[in-house]
Amino acid sequence: MDIFITGLGAISTIGNNVDEIYASLLAEKTGIRKGTLDHSMKYHVGEVALSNEGLMEHFKLKTKGSRTALLGMVAAKEAFQGHQLMDEVRTGLISGTSVGGMDITEEEYRNYLKTETFDAEKYKHHPSGTTTEQMAAELGITGFVNTISTACSSAANAIMMGARLIRSNQLDRVVVGGTDSLTHFTISGFRSLMIFDPEWCRPFDETRKGLNLGEGAGYIVLESEKSLQLTGKTPLAKLTGWSNASDAYHQTASSPEGNGAVLAMTKALSVAQLQPTDIDYINAHGTATPNNDSSESKAFIKVFDGKVPPFSSTKAYTGHTLAACGGIEAVIAVLSIQNNVLFPNLNHTTPIEETGLIPVKQITRIENVTNVLSNSFGFGGNNSSLIFSKL
Amino acid sequence: MYYIHAIQSMNNSDVFKQEDIHQKLVNVSENPALVTPDFKTYIAPTALRRLSPILRMGITLAKEVQAAVDQPFDAISVGTGLGCLTDTEKFLNVIYTVEGDVLSPTAFIQSTHNTIAGQISLDLGNHSYNMTHTQNNLSFEMALIDGMLCCEEGSKNVLVGAADESIVFLNKLKPSVFDSETLFTTSATFLAISADKMESSIAILACKTIANAAEISVETNAFLAAFGLSLEQINCFVLNTNELETPANSEVFHIDDQLGFNQSSSAFAVHVAHDFLKSSTNEFALIVNRSSNNYLGLILLKNDKTHN
Repeated sequence: MDIFITGLGAISTIGNNVDEIYASLLAEKTGIRKGTLDHSMKYHVGEVALSNEGLMEHFKLKTKGSRTALLGMVAAKEAFQGHQLMDEVRTGLISGTSVGGMDITEEEYRNYLKTETFDAEKYKHHPSGTTTEQMAAELGITGFVNTISTACSSAANAIMMGARLIRSNQLDRVVVGGTDSLTHFTISGFRSLMIFDPEWCRPFDETRKGLNLGEGAGYIVLESEKSLQLTGKTPLAKLTGWSNASDAYHQTASSPEGNGAVLAMTKALSVAQLQPTDIDYINAHGTATPNNDSSESKAFIKVFDGKVPPFSSTKAYTGHTLAACGGIEAVIAVLSIQNNVLFPNLNHTTPIEETGLIPVKQITRIENVTNVLSNSFGFGGNNSSLIFSKL
Repeated sequence: MYYIHAIQSMNNSDVFKQEDIHQKLVNVSENPALVTPDFKTYIAPTALRRLSPILRMGITLAKEVQAAVDQPFDAISVGTGLGCLTDTEKFLNVIYTVEGDVLSPTAFIQSTHNTIAGQISLDLGNHSYNMTHTQNNLSFEMALIDGMLCCEEGSKNVLVGAADESIVFLNKLKPSVFDSETLFTTSATFLAISADKMESSIAILACKTIANAAEISVETNAFLAAFGLSLEQINCFVLNTNELETPANSEVFHIDDQLGFNQSSSAFAVHVAHDFLKSSTNEFALIVNRSSNNYLGLILLKNDKTHN
């Protein structure tokens, strides 16, 4: 059964909507710069410029929520634009997030540590599930509402869950993706892991030191063929392959040979009924940590038997947006298919010595981008691969 | 139909590795304590020290369930309403109180919701599908829907579970955040499901979640009607609401009486219903999970020991 994509929405430091993001990608313009908030100012981060009030006003949001929820509403609404709710089309929302309402919780908890007083109302925004319920309220979606939380693979897993529910005839149409705001909690967390690059991150470069964090949201709309007949929407691309596998190696680090990544990519190809040679472009997870990029590179070599297709990480544009990255990168994958363009891996100079792999380094137009593989790997060895295909 | 091949729970009643737990439930006290086995039997002492209650429960229950089914899981799907609260609070304390450039990452690493499922995959050396759902009090239902979907797609032995842990701070917030006066407790339940019957006789027929639920009896009747059933044919109800009028001759368990407030309570409700059906010739049990914000979870269990 075909799973059609009929809507795209994204917000990140390189743009408040899909058109702006596409323009920044083509202009090879990163959005990563010195942070502007107390907890981000020491680091290079990918912040969305608009404040919470700015987001509500600019995008005319009706529902209040955490920054994570607001970013999610913006991108999900863009993806769902032009879609009508109707009884005959069972419509759901499945969203990935790792921090939920932590941006509000951490401020309140800091206040509690100082004063031992608390405003319980503020904590109502904390649960990740509530983030999605707030988004559903903004979109008017009252059917299946679910949240996936698997760290940095959350959005990819939400997309996969939506596709599987359509294939199983439990849903006709579903808005899927992920959202995460930058928080003191996550910035301190990655600082404690000592995997920040103090400068601009350099995915797949021998001299890479670590990642830059980012924030944002990315959503796509999936529909069955039956749903298309009722909604009359024009499909943009298809989601043809998906898989999740467990690395089972370490709480945070990837196995040196990328065993979980190999499993995820191989199984996604099998779900899509494609051969490795059918893949025209890989949008890599490519966080620019020494561990991820080495492990992912070796997994590429294994899955593609040494003949690795053009690949790049777009995280040097957006920063690593954690639970949102699989959603934003799903949008980027569809842009690649629609425009037959491969986006560059910014800041790359020296290939990783052990693998010698060289990513796409400038905007590259090819005759036909038919199949794009998109990877998202999370803590807990949670590895997910999606395959997007031309109609 | 998805058969339950093993099921284990841990909470403030003495239920771990017990049979007929529906007869062993105790009402939640003012100071509920988690009844645990000696975790050292399941987890190496060096690892044990850094693991919070929710992670200890998850690993131990998963190992016990795997031992009972005696084969590796080919998918793992876990639900949690609030995730790893102990480590989340610990790391919040670290970032606001520890001076200097070096922070311990342990609490951060273990604060993400998927640490429960991830740690299970690590401890079991399991490379299969590994998913974490978090939808407030419907988190278990979401994990179960995914687990059943895995079975539909060909998985033969799926681990499904849910876990939530209480922290002192949350009990301070709870009355206003969750509109609940009852105590927040710690509870986890894990089970192995499969489309294959083998020696099992208790199966999950269906699981459904409803947002913006209308009147509970209307939704429940509609859910049952899809299986040609009515409320009168349900022998056992495990619920967290007084809104549903249950038939006079049915067995009713109000799960809140035992668990207080726990967002994974519907997983434990399945365990109670499972043991009730298993010890009887009764045919159907229904779990009704209602939240304050109008979400509803319904799970239907069938005993086909005597009814084929």
